[in-house]
Parts: sequence; C-alpha cells; structure tokens
Amino acid sequence: MSQGPQPQLPSGLKRFVASPAGRAFIALLLVLVVGVVFNADQAFFKIGTHRDTLRQASVYGILACGMTLVIISGGIDLAVGSVLALVAVCGAKMAIHWGWSGWLVIPASLVVGAAAGGVSGVVTARLRVQPFIATLAMMVLARGAAKYASGGMKVSTAVQNADGTYRYVDVPALFRAIDTRILGGNLSMVTVIFLFCVAIAWIALSKHCWGRYLYAIGGNEESSRLSGVPVLAAKTCAYVASGMFAAVAGLCQAAQEQQGDPEAGAGYELIAIAMVVIGGTSLMGGRGGIGLTLLGVLTIGYLDKILSINAVPEAGRLMLTGIIIVAAVLTQRRNRT
Amino acid sequence: MTGITKRFGEVTVLREVSFDVCPGEVHVLAGENGAGKSTLIKILAGIHTEFAGTLEFNGRPARPRSPLEANALGVAVIHQELSLIGLMSVADNIFLGRTPVRAGLVCDARQREEAAHWVRQLGLDLDVRRPVEQFPIAVQQLIEIAKALSQNARVIVMDEPTSALNAPDVEKLFALIQSLKQRGCGIVYISHKMEEIERIADRITVLRDGRWIGTTPAKNLPRAKFIEWMVGRDLGEQFPRRAPNPGSERLRVENFSVFPGGSSAKAAIRNASFSVRAGEILGIGGLQGSGGSELFFGLFGAYGGRTQGSVRLDGKEIHFTSPRQAIESGVAMLTNDRKATGLVLSLPIVANATLAALRELSSAGWRRPARERAAAEQTTQSLQLRAASLDAEVGTLSGGNQQKVAIAKWLQTRPRLLLLDEPTRGIDVAAKREIYQLMDRWTAEGIAILLISSEMPELLSLSDRIAVLHRGRITAGFTRAQATPEAVLAAAMGQDHFAANAEISNP
Amino acid sequence: MTMTCNDRNSVMNQKTILTLAALSLAASLFNGCGKTDSAPPGGDAKTEAGGRAYTIGMSQCNLGEPWRVQMNADIRNAAEKHPGLKVVFKDAQNDTLKQRSHIEELVGSKVDLIIISPKEAQPLTEPVAKAMDAGIPVIVLDRRLLGDKYTCFIGADNKKIGKAAGEWIVKSLGGKGRVVELMGLMTSTPGQDRHSGFREGIAGSDIEIIFEADMKWLEPDARKEMESALSRFDKIDLVYAHNDPGAHGAYLAAKAAGRDGIKFVGIDALPQEGVAYVQQGILDATFQYPTGGAEAIEQALKILKGEPVPKETVLGTRLFDKSNVAQGGQELK
Repeated sequence: MSQGPQPQLPSGLKRFVASPAGRAFIALLLVLVVGVVFNADQAFFKIGTHRDTLRQASVYGILACGMTLVIISGGIDLAVGSVLALVAVCGAKMAIHWGWSGWLVIPASLVVGAAAGGVSGVVTARLRVQPFIATLAMMVLARGAAKYASGGMKVSTAVQNADGTYRYVDVPALFRAIDTRILGGNLSMVTVIFLFCVAIAWIALSKHCWGRYLYAIGGNEESSRLSGVPVLAAKTCAYVASGMFAAVAGLCQAAQEQQGDPEAGAGYELIAIAMVVIGGTSLMGGRGGIGLTLLGVLTIGYLDKILSINAVPEAGRLMLTGIIIVAAVLTQRRNRT
Repeated sequence: MTGITKRFGEVTVLREVSFDVCPGEVHVLAGENGAGKSTLIKILAGIHTEFAGTLEFNGRPARPRSPLEANALGVAVIHQELSLIGLMSVADNIFLGRTPVRAGLVCDARQREEAAHWVRQLGLDLDVRRPVEQFPIAVQQLIEIAKALSQNARVIVMDEPTSALNAPDVEKLFALIQSLKQRGCGIVYISHKMEEIERIADRITVLRDGRWIGTTPAKNLPRAKFIEWMVGRDLGEQFPRRAPNPGSERLRVENFSVFPGGSSAKAAIRNASFSVRAGEILGIGGLQGSGGSELFFGLFGAYGGRTQGSVRLDGKEIHFTSPRQAIESGVAMLTNDRKATGLVLSLPIVANATLAALRELSSAGWRRPARERAAAEQTTQSLQLRAASLDAEVGTLSGGNQQKVAIAKWLQTRPRLLLLDEPTRGIDVAAKREIYQLMDRWTAEGIAILLISSEMPELLSLSDRIAVLHRGRITAGFTRAQATPEAVLAAAMGQDHFAANAEISNP
Repeated sequence: MTMTCNDRNSVMNQKTILTLAALSLAASLFNGCGKTDSAPPGGDAKTEAGGRAYTIGMSQCNLGEPWRVQMNADIRNAAEKHPGLKVVFKDAQNDTLKQRSHIEELVGSKVDLIIISPKEAQPLTEPVAKAMDAGIPVIVLDRRLLGDKYTCFIGADNKKIGKAAGEWIVKSLGGKGRVVELMGLMTSTPGQDRHSGFREGIAGSDIEIIFEADMKWLEPDARKEMESALSRFDKIDLVYAHNDPGAHGAYLAAKAAGRDGIKFVGIDALPQEGVAYVQQGILDATFQYPTGGAEAIEQALKILKGEPVPKETVLGTRLFDKSNVAQGGQELK
C-alpha cells in the first residue's frame, strides 16, 4: 500500500517490525551483525561455532522454557538454578554410583523436579505467598538439599571405596547419549533436547486449555477466577512444569560435566529470566510466548559466544551484556501503546 | 462554588452546579449514586483541577491545584475510604504532608505532642506512636477528623462518615459535629441515611444527574419533597417490555447470609429471602454499599462457599463453593467492573468471549480454535458487537463493546440464571438500548435474571419485581405496578416497606 | 454497590507473615548456630606422651568448597595419629561475624590451641589477638591476618605453584608450543597469583599464549571458552587451567570436538578430583594446592610441647603426572 511517489515498506512488514516478535528478531539480527563484523579470524563463520553457541545456550534455554510458562501466568521462579543442581546431583548418583539405566533415571529426575516445583506452586497458589519470596525460599532449600544429597562433594566417576581409595566407574550410557553430537557432528544432542522442550512448551501454551488459562490468569487473575478458570490448579501446574524443565536441564548439565555438582546452576535463573524478557514476554504476565523466548535465548547465546571468541576481558563482557539487556527492554517498552 | 461544570471525556458529570457552605452550619449534600456528589467534593478538595466555574473562599476567588493547596485554604476532606496509612503511626498520619522539620530532620517529639493534643480534643486517649491500623475503624475515623482539625480547617467535608460506625460511635460523632459547629467550622455532610439527615442537617442541597436541583434549610424540606427532588418525576425513557410470562420457579433463596470475610466477620447480606421465576427479572435496589454485589458473589460461589441459608435452583438445593461450579450449573454473573473483574484486557475478543466455556469448546483439554472462533463470532454478532476483528485486544475497545464481550462470554455458557450487576454502567445510550432489548429476548427464552442497577428509571422499567437492600437486609419488596421511585428510594435509605403480592419476605 | 477487598488483603497478610516466619525459622534451623564436630578417635582417657590430653579448636571459614572439606579431613587424619589430641571443628558458613563468635567461644571454653582459616583478614585480626592475650596459641592457615599477633602462619604460595606449572609446561613442550590459558576469577588473589606465577615460569621460552579467558573457576564456563578457542585455532598444544574443574571442562570440549593431542594441566590436586583425573588420563599434570592441614597438626604439637616454630611456613606443592601418580606424586619445594 504505497502512497505517492515515495516507496514505503509494505504494511504487513511494518506491523511485523512493530510487534514483539519483530523487535526480538531485530535484536537477534543486530547481535548477528556484530558477530559478522567481529568474527575473530573467521571463527564466526565456522559451523562448529554455531553448534557450540547452541550447545552452551541450551541448558539456559531449557530453564527459560519453564520460566516462560511461569512468567506468563504472572509469577516468577527463582529456584530453577538450585533445582537444576539438585537433579544433577541425584541424577549423577543414580546413573553413576547406582548404575541405573536411563529409563529409570529420567523419570526419577523428573519426579524430583516436579516435587520441588509442586512445593513452590502450592506455597504460591494456595498459601498466597508472593512468588518471588516462595521461590526464593525454594532456591535456598533446593541448594541445601543438593549439598546434603551429594555430601558436599561433586558426584563423579571417581567413587570412594570403603578403605578410602577410589575406583573409577565408566561414564553412564545416558550421559554419553546426552553429550554427543549428531548430524555429522554439527548439532549437539542437548540442543535437540532444548528444541524438544521448546516444542512441548509451545504445544502447552498454544494448543491446550491450560495455556490459555495461564495467559488469562497473568492478564487478570480475578477476572479469570470469576470466569470459572481453575486458577489454583493452573498456577501450581506452571511451577511443577518449571521444576520438570529444571530437572531436564540438570540432567543435561550433569551429562556435560560427567558429574553432579551441587554448586551448579548458581545464577542460571537470572540468565533464564533475561532470555525471556529480551524475547519480549512481559514480566507482568498475560503476554508473550515461547517463540519470543527462543529468540531471546539465541540473542543472549550469540552475544555470549561473540564475546567469548573475541576473548573480550571479563569486565567488558559484563558491562556490554548489561547495557544490551537494558537497551533491548527499553525498546520493547517504548513501542507498546 | 458557582457554575461548576465538569466533563470526563464526552460524559458531563456536573452541569452548572452551585454550592456554598457557611460557618457554623451542617450542609447536607444529597443525591443518588452517580449524581455528582463525589466529583463536586473532589473539585473542592483540589483533586480535580480542570473544571469550569469559580470557587471563592471567604469572598476571595481561589482555585486549589492540589489537595495540599486545598488544605492551605482551609478545606479538609474525610473520605469514605479513609486516607490513613495503616502502617504509619497516628502522629505521622496526622501530620502527613506537613511533617514538622528542622534542617531536613523530622521533629518527632514536637509532632507527637501536637498529635496527642488534637487527639485529646476528640475525647480519645491513645498512644500516638502506635500504627493506625491497630485501632478499630471508628477510632480511625476520629483520627481522620483530628487530622482535619489540626489543619485548622474551616470547611470539613465528611463523606458517609457513619458507614462503618455503630450506634454509640455515631452519637459521639454527632456530638463532635455540634462542637465543631460551635467553633465556627462549616461542615459538608454527605449521606444516604434519612434518619441522620433529618437529625443534623441545617441546610440540604440535592443533586441529580449532575444538575443542581435545590438548596433549602432543612426545616423547609419535608421527607416526601426531599425524595422527589432526589428522584425526579421524569423517568426519562420508558422501556416497553412485552407482557411478562414467567414460568416455573427458577431460584428460591431462604434466610441467605453472606460472609465475605469468613464466618466470624460481619455479614454483608443477612437473612435474605426471595425468589425468581424463569423469564422474570427481579431487580435488586439499594444504595452503594448495601450489599448487592456481595449477594451476587455469594450466590455465585465467588466467596468460596462462605454463605449460610438455603438456595434452590430449579428445585434442587445448591451450595456453590467456586465460580466453576456455578457456571456448570447454568448460573452466570456479569460483574459491575468489567475492566477489573470482568475481562482480561490483554487478551483478544475471541479469548475473552470463550473464557468461561473453554472446557466445553475443547476436546479433552485440547483447544479447537475453529470452534472457538465460530462460537465467538456467533455470540458477538448476536450482540451487534462492532469491532474490526475478533483478534483485537479487548483493552482497545470502547466501553459499550467491552461490555458486549463480557456478555458474550456469559451467553456462551448457556445460563438459566443470569446475575447482572450494573450491566449498563459507563455505556452510551445506543448501546444501553441494545442491552435492554437483549434482556427482553433472554427472558423470552426463559432465562431468569437478577438485576442490580443504581439508575432508578432503568431498574423500575426493566424489573418485573423489585427487592430493595439496605445494609445487607431486604427492606422492601414491590411488584412492577407497586414500585415507585420514592418508595424504592425510601426503602433503600432504611425504611421498611413490604407490599402485598411481592413474594419477598424478610423474617 | 461496591466490593470490599480489605478482608482478603488482611487474610493474605497474615498468611504471608506466618509463612515467612515459618520459612525463616526453618532456614535458621538449617543454618544452625554454626556446626560443631569433634574428631572421633582417642577420647579423653588416653593421653599424649607429655602426659595430658590436648584440645584443639579449628575454625573453618566455610565447608562449601571441596578444598576446605579436604583441609578439615587432612587435619582430622593427622590428629588421629596422636591419641591424645582432640579436635573440635567449627564451620562459620562463610559468615565473618559467625567466625568471630566461634573464636570467642573457643577462647571461652579454654582450648589449648586454635587453628583458624579465616574468611577475611581485617575482621578476624582482633579476635585472634585477644586469644593470644588469653594465652592460647593460634595457628593461621591459608589466608593471612593483619599484623603479626598470632603464633605462626602456614600457607601455600599460588605464585610458586603457577611458576612450577609454567616450568613443567616448558619442559613438557620442549620449550615451545601454543598454549591456551583458562584463568580463575581474576579479581581474586589466587587467580592473579596463578597467572603471574605461570607467566614467570614460561618466561624466556618460546611458549605462545594464543588465547586466554576468565572462566571464573567454573567447569561449564571453561568448556565454553575452550570451544571458542577450538573454533579459532586449528593447532593447540596445551591447555593450562587455574583449577582442575576448569581443565576437566576444557578436556571434555576437546574430546567432543574430536581434537586429540592436546595436553591439559590443572591445579588443586584433590584426591577424588585432580589426582583422579591424572589417573584416568584426563589430565596430563596437576599441582597440589596443599591445605596445610597435616603441617598444622605437626606444628601444633610442637607448640604444645613448648618447642619453637617458624613464624611463616610456606608450603611447597606436589606434582602429579602420569609418571608419579601411582606413588602419590612428587614433592616440589
């Protein structure tokens, strides 16, 4: 629909650029352009670099999937980093020390994650404690549980015998299966797992009643309640889901380290939140989606990688990342009517 | 105040209203809900700064641009919702905004002394360091008055001051008002309660629909004339309704009590009994705070079942503990605040219109977008909703269209009992007519309707029968023929009146 | 007809406060008032050669780091060899104020000697001085205090370790090679020391540092940085990481990339971590960052018997590589 002699962008494109998805896309595009410019001796153009970027962002991305669900429902989950550690420790214990097969380890780990999320959910939804506080408490609790379950040491392939010496167990098949590459070495398995999590979260949000309920509750909880939406159940399930995603992330983390580290995941919840927010999902709840989070994951993942291959010193990285996050959030706010 | 005119957008709330207060008098400001009393007071208090007209204080023109300036001019307002900050101490509250400081540091001791002085003046003996929320509401109200006094206010506005007080406290308040009069303060007293107005008013001013109706000394205004001024003879448009043809009894409520805050707290509705038949509209009259919305919430299960008494729907005894249960039994409730409790403004029309019936429109929890869209199209079209697309965010629609989306949501659930709370609030005239026609159609289909409306003409012409609430009790029941504006208003202000054949009882 | 929401708000407030109270009570119970733990063996009946039993109080700043868990284990093991010694362990959970009160408690219960591994120098200098005034000797481990009002200090020297690592790397690569340095938190002294010591150790050789990054002591970060290095450089000879987890992460990155022939060197040499990695062939070498636990007990005994001890003992390090790991490594002075 052009007017007069000047060429204009087609209105469809204009609408896309103004939409949250468009803005997230532009942010990602800008980061990629930076990568092309500062390509560190062509390293940015190697396919291995992209594969590695996706790999290193996957664990955060899996957390971000669960975080998206919780944030859309109007809450927040600060415990996911600690639950990741708890499951990393438990999963490592099960797989390495007790030799359980993957078919047992995976469901058992999901149960641990679901239980932790369930406690957060009940305290938030039923006891009406603010999500920030409830999940902060779970963050401390789960971290303590992780340290307790691991005895303070990493759960690794070096198993201590009764007499104090160590014997070395093989890395379990489950971990080796998770930490591999497919497609001729060009795609990491954890990335596949991440994309699978994205698909599940997307199906829940777009195709199931529960997803619609989460949007409604985040948009206006009282209106939803008075419209017959099962607020308590839906919110609790969001936290259970977040815990289960954290469990998947924990197994991926343990597999990639070949050990269960009780200190793992510290600060990961903030990165997951940043990914969700940069993608364009609103922290107030009621708006956003998984597609946006995927864009946010890629944006932060690539930014991190570009800083890494260019060997930017630590202080510079922190400042740049902080500035870019603030800038991204500001552009979102300005365009919202 | 002379020639005050105030507009909010296209809606004119006050039209050429004049009002004055003399020292040493109690001037009652009366009018129905929406008459414009609150707006007038807010202009006086410096809360609304854009208006036409003039203000004069002691003969000098002045225009307060903020509550602080209004205070400086000698005006203090005691709002219905107290403006005290619960967590702060009594002393801090009294001096809020005027904290005595020296070189930037708060003079705690001086503040405490002065606060204690004012509090004593009111006959209170309390520790001014304690946080305000620890005191009962009656005491809090007196603290607000102390705050007004400490500002050396010459004009004190009291907005429904006795709504939370019991009889002995009301007496204390009236004694206090007497002493304030003797001091030379002018008091603007807003109230709905006939008994109070008759007791303390020196002069009475009545507003109706934003217009000044009259000001006269209280002794020149007998009760009947007073009510006539409030209600007006002209009922505006009559809404022709087809002859009602009610069917079997749909809802029977006996000795129904509602406890929003739990069974130990005050009852919002006490021992209400009434019934509605299929195809009938039962109007619920009453003034603000009389409990109509609470009645609906209680019936709808929105208080988690904190109700007592017997409720029968089509003969079957029910007790809803959640809105979900009510919806599944065919009850729907349109709330009086569509933005806060009726709609999710961030979601599109389709989502809002299908929210209450989502389960039924899905297969085992999996959504069927095509079915949802078709259902939303059907209901919104039948309501003549005008919107560019069903995917528009509801927050971008006009008030009338938003209300239609909310109504569409409830129609989708195919209710047999509709609870409508102020269905035409904030809607333009054309949309109102459409909704009246819809109500007509619904009753023809056999739906029973409970209607709350604060617009007298609307209530009177739509309802087949009317039950009037006053402070949680049903004080009157009328048939359509018996209902007059005066009778309804009198009952709403506390007078009991039960007409025969109304089938509304209050044991 | 308005609704009052006040009631709902006050209900929520009560519930919130109760829940917060319950949670904080639980949290404080978990934190405890600092944990105490005594060494099992010996009991009070047996006595030392000198004819009496001694009680030593050990104040550890935190047990969150495996290395400190190892330090306590070393002390415990060394003490077990002397039946007359009883050690009381206190864990300050990285809280300076807690550690202060622990010292005061130990003074109050009149222990014979105090061993302290302080969280910070400034806040703990005075309590230790007061202990000295009360006649209780104090051995300071690993982190220094201000001034000199303590009996003796035992600690390792990260610069020396870094230098030893550098020298080993020069020897192992035959004087020249392309090396990646993965650094610990460079705002911390150990990180800076292990870096500067390393640079000293390789000075004068043809070793080229082609890539350096701060992996903040964390394994996932080390893996990420190593991946970047691998994608930039086709030829890498050796990776020097400031700690063993970092070297392990780099190893996994290289293995996943199918890049063989890279050597990996770490620091810390905890038995179940670094030493195990060398035994499994994951690391080529690791250097022990000694805890000083055994030395502390040694010197404690001397002090209790009234013998003199040096004011400063700088611990050496042990090298663990393929050639000597079975024999428990090789001591380097």
